[in-house]
Amino acid sequence: MDTEASIHVAEPPLLGGNKTCAEVTRDVAAPLEGKPTGMWWVAFLAAVTVLALGVWSVWYQIATGIGTWGLNRTVGWGFDITNFVFWVGIGHAGTLISAVLLLFRQKWRTSINRSAEAMTIFAVICAGLYPVIHMGRPWLAYWVFPYPNFRGPLWVNWRSALLWDVFAIGTYFTISLVFWYVGLVPDLATLRDRARGLRKKVLGFFSLGWDGSARTWSRYEMACVLLASLATPLVVSVHSVVSTDFATSVVPGWHTTVLPPYFVIGAVFSGFAMVLMLMLIARRVMRFEHYITWGHIHAMCKILVFTGSIVGLAYATELFVAWYSGSPYEQFAFANRIFGPVGWSYAIMVLCNVVAPQLLWSRKVRNSIGWIFTITVLVNVGMWFERFVIIATSLQRDYLPSAWSGYAPTLVEIGALAGGFGLFFTLFLLFCRFLPMLSMFELKTVVRGETGHAPHAESEERRVA
Amino acid sequence: MSHEDHSELLLPFDGPNPSRRSFLHLVGFGLASAAFSGCSRGPVQHAIAALDASPEFVPGRVYWIASTCRACEAGCGVLAKCRDGRPIKLEGTPGHPVSGGGLCPSGQASILSLYDSKRFDGPQRGGERASWEQADRELGAALDGLRRSGGRVRLLTGTINGPSTRAAIARFLDGFRDARHVTYDGLSASALLDAHGRVLGRRILPRLRFELAKTIVSFDADFLSTWISPVEFTAGYTKGRSLEGAAPRMSKHVQLEARTSLTGCRADERVRLAPWETGPALAGLCDLLERRAGGAGRCAGAADVAPQRELLERLAGELWGSSGASLVVAGSDDVDVQVLASYANHLLGNYGTTLDVERPSLQRMGDDRALSELAEELAAGRVDALVVQGVNPAYDLAGRLPIERAKLLVSCAAAPDETSARATWVCPEPHFLEAWDDAEPFAGTFALTQPTVPLLRAGRTLRELLARWSGDAREDRELLRETWRQELFPRQSAEADFDAFFDRALHEGYQRLDGAAEAPGPFRADAIDAAARAQGSVQGPKAGALALIAYPKAGMLDGRNAHNPWLHELPDPVTKITWDNYACLSAATAARLDLEEGDVVRLAPSGGDGGEAALPVHIQRGQHDGVVAVALGYGRAGTDRFTKVGPEWVDARETVAPGGTVGASVAGLAVAAGCVRRFAGSDVTVTATGESVELASTQDYHSLSLPEHLAIDGHEVREVVFSTTFDAWREDPGAGVHRHPVPAGDLWPEDHESDTTWGMTIDLARCTGCSACVLGCQAENNVPVVGRDEVRRHREMSWLRIDRYFQGDDDDLRTLHQPMLCQHCDHAPCEAVCPVLATVHSEGGLNQQVYNRCVGTRYCANTCPYKVRRFNWFDYARPDEMQNHSLNPDVTVRSRGVMEKCSFCVQRIQEARSEAKREGREVRDGDVTPACQQSCPAQAIAFGNLRDPGSRVAELAATPRAYSVLEELNVQPSVRYLTHVHNGRPDSGGGEDHGH
Repeated sequence: MDTEASIHVAEPPLLGGNKTCAEVTRDVAAPLEGKPTGMWWVAFLAAVTVLALGVWSVWYQIATGIGTWGLNRTVGWGFDITNFVFWVGIGHAGTLISAVLLLFRQKWRTSINRSAEAMTIFAVICAGLYPVIHMGRPWLAYWVFPYPNFRGPLWVNWRSALLWDVFAIGTYFTISLVFWYVGLVPDLATLRDRARGLRKKVLGFFSLGWDGSARTWSRYEMACVLLASLATPLVVSVHSVVSTDFATSVVPGWHTTVLPPYFVIGAVFSGFAMVLMLMLIARRVMRFEHYITWGHIHAMCKILVFTGSIVGLAYATELFVAWYSGSPYEQFAFANRIFGPVGWSYAIMVLCNVVAPQLLWSRKVRNSIGWIFTITVLVNVGMWFERFVIIATSLQRDYLPSAWSGYAPTLVEIGALAGGFGLFFTLFLLFCRFLPMLSMFELKTVVRGETGHAPHAESEERRVA
Repeated sequence: MSHEDHSELLLPFDGPNPSRRSFLHLVGFGLASAAFSGCSRGPVQHAIAALDASPEFVPGRVYWIASTCRACEAGCGVLAKCRDGRPIKLEGTPGHPVSGGGLCPSGQASILSLYDSKRFDGPQRGGERASWEQADRELGAALDGLRRSGGRVRLLTGTINGPSTRAAIARFLDGFRDARHVTYDGLSASALLDAHGRVLGRRILPRLRFELAKTIVSFDADFLSTWISPVEFTAGYTKGRSLEGAAPRMSKHVQLEARTSLTGCRADERVRLAPWETGPALAGLCDLLERRAGGAGRCAGAADVAPQRELLERLAGELWGSSGASLVVAGSDDVDVQVLASYANHLLGNYGTTLDVERPSLQRMGDDRALSELAEELAAGRVDALVVQGVNPAYDLAGRLPIERAKLLVSCAAAPDETSARATWVCPEPHFLEAWDDAEPFAGTFALTQPTVPLLRAGRTLRELLARWSGDAREDRELLRETWRQELFPRQSAEADFDAFFDRALHEGYQRLDGAAEAPGPFRADAIDAAARAQGSVQGPKAGALALIAYPKAGMLDGRNAHNPWLHELPDPVTKITWDNYACLSAATAARLDLEEGDVVRLAPSGGDGGEAALPVHIQRGQHDGVVAVALGYGRAGTDRFTKVGPEWVDARETVAPGGTVGASVAGLAVAAGCVRRFAGSDVTVTATGESVELASTQDYHSLSLPEHLAIDGHEVREVVFSTTFDAWREDPGAGVHRHPVPAGDLWPEDHESDTTWGMTIDLARCTGCSACVLGCQAENNVPVVGRDEVRRHREMSWLRIDRYFQGDDDDLRTLHQPMLCQHCDHAPCEAVCPVLATVHSEGGLNQQVYNRCVGTRYCANTCPYKVRRFNWFDYARPDEMQNHSLNPDVTVRSRGVMEKCSFCVQRIQEARSEAKREGREVRDGDVTPACQQSCPAQAIAFGNLRDPGSRVAELAATPRAYSVLEELNVQPSVRYLTHVHNGRPDSGGGEDHGH
C-alpha cells in the first residue's frame, strides 16, 4: 500500500479534495437531483431570451427573404457562413478531448470530456442550422441529400464542396452523438439506481439495461475504443472539408491550399478556448473545483498557447504564400484584408488569436482565473472574426473593381448570430441540469483515495508550478 | 392580378365599327386575356371561339408589327413584338433610315408606359371623369363660340412633324380668326434652328451625318446619349469609326464640355471648357479657320483672347485638313454660339456633306421665342383657349408660362401631370402603341406608327380631337390615310394603287419620297458679326456662384419618363446612380465648398428670382470647377407612386416619401422670366443644408487603378479593359492586348460533344455605354425593379450592366465602358460549386440556371469572378399589376430565393431552333439575336455559334483584337471583348500603366 502511494505521489493528483468514489457520485449527481439554483434559472432565462430573439430573426428571415440580411450581389455570404464555420470549429475540441486523448490514455481528460463532448454536439447543432437558413429556399434543403427520387431523377453535384460539407457535418454529428451517448450509459445507470418513480423508468430506458457486470464493462470499453478510433480522423477531416468550401473556389483569399490545416488548427484552438471558458464557469457555478483543478486549467492553457502559435504561423504562411504566388489578385486580396476598408477586423483577429494567448506564458496570467477567462473570450471573438475576415473581406473586393462593394449586417442577421449562442447555452444549461456533467465512472478511476494531500495544499502547489 | 383589371382591359373598345385589323386585335386580346384570367368572369361580349379566329393569328405565337417610336421626337423605327394580342417588347427596325436598327433606353422602356394603370381612361372635366360625348359637346360648343366671337385660340405642342397631324392642325386653326400653333421642345434645339434662320434664312435643323465626318468637334453636345437623335447619331458615329472591312477608318472626336457627358466620355480627346467659354472658344476657332481660308476676318482677333488657344490651333488644323468631312456641333442654347458653330461648318465646307440642309431634320421644331410671346399673351389674359399636347409646360417652364390664365385650358396629357392638374378639360391621348400616327423625321422620309393593341384606355389622338372640333367625325385611321392619299401618294410612282402604297408603308414602317428637297440659300456671313461681337462681353458666373448646367439624363430626358420605373432604375451611363438626380460638382469645387458625396445642398438662383432645389451632391470626375450640373426631368408630380416600389421589410427605406417626388426639379433655375430657357449658364449659389443622404449607385469603385495604398508594384491597374490607338492598331491588330497564356488541356473530359458553342463578341471600340442593351435585357427577361433602397444595398437585378471606369485626372479624363454579363464560361466556376446542380452547362455551351432546382446557397455568385449573378433577395412585387402585361411569357418570372443571370436569351435560341427544325434546316448565323444585341445602336454586339467558322461572331472572335476578360483564370468565357481602339493620344486607355 505504501509503495503504491509513493508511486502516486510522484505524479501530481488529478483531482482535489481527497474524494472517495461515493463522494464523486454524490457531488456529480447533486445538481441533477435537487432543485435548480437561482443562478441556473437566471442563466437559463437569459439564454432562452437570446434564443427567442434568434428564433424570431430566423423566422422573419425565412418568411420575408434573405434580403433581410445585409448581403448583396457581391458578398453572398456574411454572418451566416461565418457562424457556421465558427460553430463547427467550436465542436472540434470535444472530439479531440474525448477521442484523441482517450486513445492517448490522457487520464486528466476525465474531468472535462463529458462536457466537451456535449459542447461538440450542441456546437454542431448550431453549425448545422446556418447552412440551412442561409439558403434562399430553406424548405428545399433536403435537396442537398442524394436521396432516390422520381424527378428525373435529380441528383446532387459531387464536385461541390457544399455537398462534401453535408456529409462531413452529418458524419461528425452522428459519430459525436453516438460516442457521447455510449459514454453516458454507465452514469445513467448510476443515476437510475439512485432514482425512484418515473425518473427511474426514464433513466432505466436510456441506460439500456446496464448491469455493471464485467462483461458489460468489457464490451463498453471495446465500443468506446472503436468509436474513438472512428471519431479521431474526423478531428482532421471535418474542418478540412469545411475549408474546401473556400479553398476550391476561385475567389482570391479563398483559393489557397493552406486552408485545410489552417482551419483544423483554428478549430482546435477555438474549441479549447470554448471548453476552458465553459469549464471555468461550471467549476464556479456547480462547485466542481475539486474535479476541474488547476491542473486541468494549466493543461488547457498550454494547449491554447500551442495552438494559438500555430494559428499565428498559419496567418504568416497565408501572407507568405500570397506574396510568393505572384498572383496580383491574391496579393491584393491580402493587402485589402489588412489595410482595406475592413482592416480593423483583421486587426481584431490577429490581436485576439495570436497576441492574446501569448499572455499565458506569464505565470501571473496563468494563475488568474480572470485573465484566463478574458483570454478565452478574446480567442472566441478572434476566431469568429477570422472566419468573418476570410469570408466577407475576400468577397467584397475580388476581380472586377466595378463589382466591389461593402457589407454590413442587419439587425436580423445579428439576431441570427445571437440566436446561435442562445441555442448553444440553452442546450448546455439543460445538459447541466439533466445529465451528469462529469463522467462519474471515469472520475472514479482517478480517485486517489487516502493520499495525504490536503486540497488546499494541492491547489497552492499547482499555482506555483 | 385582380379581376377588375381584366374588365378594364377587356372592354377598352369604344369605336362603333371595328376595322378588320382592330377586330383581329380584339380577338387576340380577348383570347389571351381569357386564357390567363383563368376562372375569373369571362369577357362575354368579346369571347369568340378560336374556330373563327383568323388564320394569321396563332395563340402563343409571336407576330411583329412595324411602327415608329414616339418616346421622343427622333422617330426611330420599331418592331413591336406581339403575342396573344398584346405587345411585349419593342425592338429597333433593322435598316431603318433614322435609327438603323437600334433602340434607345426610352424607346425600350416605353412598352411599360403603355401598361401604366395611372393613364387617364377617357376625358376629365375639372378633375372629374367625363365622357367623350360630353367633351365633344361642351368643348365643341365652347370652340364654336370662339369661332364666332373671334376669340384667340392657341395650340401649344411639342414638335409635330407628322403630315396628318399637321394637316389636322392647319384645318383646325383655319376655323378661327386668331389662332396659332406654338411649338417648344422639352429638350430644346431652338437656338440651333434660330441660328440657321440667321445664317441660311431658313429656320431648319440640318441633318447631321456623323458617318461622313472624319473630324468631329463637339462643344457640349451630348449627341451619343440625349441630344436630338442619339440612336441615329450613335449609328452614324460608329459607322465613321468602323474597323471592319477593307478600309478601316476612325474619325477623330474632340469634346469640349463643362459637365462630364457620355459623349465626352467616348471622345478621343476631352477638354474641360466652361459654358461661358464656349462662345469665345468657338469664335477663336472660327478666327483660326478664317485665317486658313484667307477670307475676311469676321472673327479676327478672337483666337487671341480665346481659352484653350493651343488646342484650338491644333483643332483648326485638323478640321481644316478634313474640310468638307468634318463637323462642329454645339449643344448650346445660345443662338450666337450656334451661329458661330454654323460659321465654322460653313468655313469648313461642311454644308452639303456632313450637314444635310437639302433634306433637313424635322426632329426638333420648337421655337423658344414664340414661347415668350405666348407667355406675354397669357399674362395679359389675351388667350381664350389653350390646348396643350405633347409637352408639360407647368413643369418644363416651372410656372413661367401662366397657362392657368387661359380662359379654357385643355390638356392632352395621357397620364396626370402638372399641366393636366391645372386644365379645365383633359382629353387624353393614347400611347403610341395603341394609336395611329405618322412622322417626318427628315424631309422626305415618312414614318408610320400603327396600333399594336386596341386602346387600353379611352384616348384620342390630337389629330382626331382637332378633327372632331372642326366637325370631322371620321375615324383616326381614316384621317391619317386621307393625308397620305392626298399629300404623299402623289409624290411617288412605285405604286399605282393607294392601298398598296399604304400597305407597303405600313409593312416597312416608313416610306422615302422624292421631292421636297430645297437647295440651301447662300450663307449670310454678315450674320456672324453680331454673334462674334457678343462673345467679347461674355462673363462667367458672379463671385460665389456656379454656372448651372441642366442636362437630360439618358432615358429620363425632360421628365416625360418620370413615371417609368425601368428608367428610374437604369443607372446613369456616366454616374451609375439610379433613382435620383443630384448636383454634380468637381472634386475641387466640392472640397472648396467643404461638401462630400451625398451632402444635401440648396441650389438657389444667384440674385434673381426663381425656384430653389435641394439636391444631394455627387462628386463627378472630369467636370469643370465652375459649374454645377443637375439632371432635368426629376421632381415630377405623382412620382410618389414609387413609394412602394421594392420589397417591404423591417429595415426597408421607401424609394420616395409619400407625397414626395423622385429627385427635385431644377426647371425653376433654368427658366427665367418670360420663358427664356437657359440650360447652361444660369448663376446659382450652392449652400449646404447639413443633411446628407446616400445615393443609390450601382458602382462603388470607379477606376481600374487599385487604391494606391493597397496596390502591388507592377499591378496597379486591373487589366480588364484593353485599349489602343488607331495608329497602333493598324501597325499591329493585336496592339494593347496583354495575353496570359493558360495551360493547355483540361482536367475534365469533354463530356458534351457538340457542333455548337454559343458565344458573343462585344466591340469596345463601338460601345458608347449608352445603356440601350441594359433596358433591352430588362424588357426581354422580366428583370424586376427593386427600388432605391435595394440598389443602395447593391442588390440591383440587371443581368447586364455597363461597367464604367475613369482613368486619369479631371483635366485628362479617360473613360472606359465595358458591358458585363454572364460570360458563359466553358470552365464555369459556378457550375462546379452548386450542390444541387442548379447551374449546368448545356450542349450548346450555355451556362444554364435552373430556377426550379436552385435552393439559393449563393455559392455560385460568390465564386463568379465577374459578379454577374443576381439573387432574388425578396419576392419583387410589381406594384402596378397592369404592367405585368409587358412580361415576356417565354421567360420565367423568378421567385424569391433563387439565383438568376444572363441566359444569352435562351428563349430566342430555342425559338430559332424550333423554327429551323420546322423548316427542316440547321440554325443559320443571324437566326438568334439576343435582346442586347438587337437594341445596340452601335452594333457593338455580335452573337452566334463560335464553332461555325463562317459566323460573324467566330470571325470577330478570331481577330487579334479579341480577348477574354480575366483570361488568366482559364475559366474560358464564351464572351470575347474586342479592344477599345480610339484616336486619342497613345497613352490613353486603361492598361497603360501595367508594368509587365
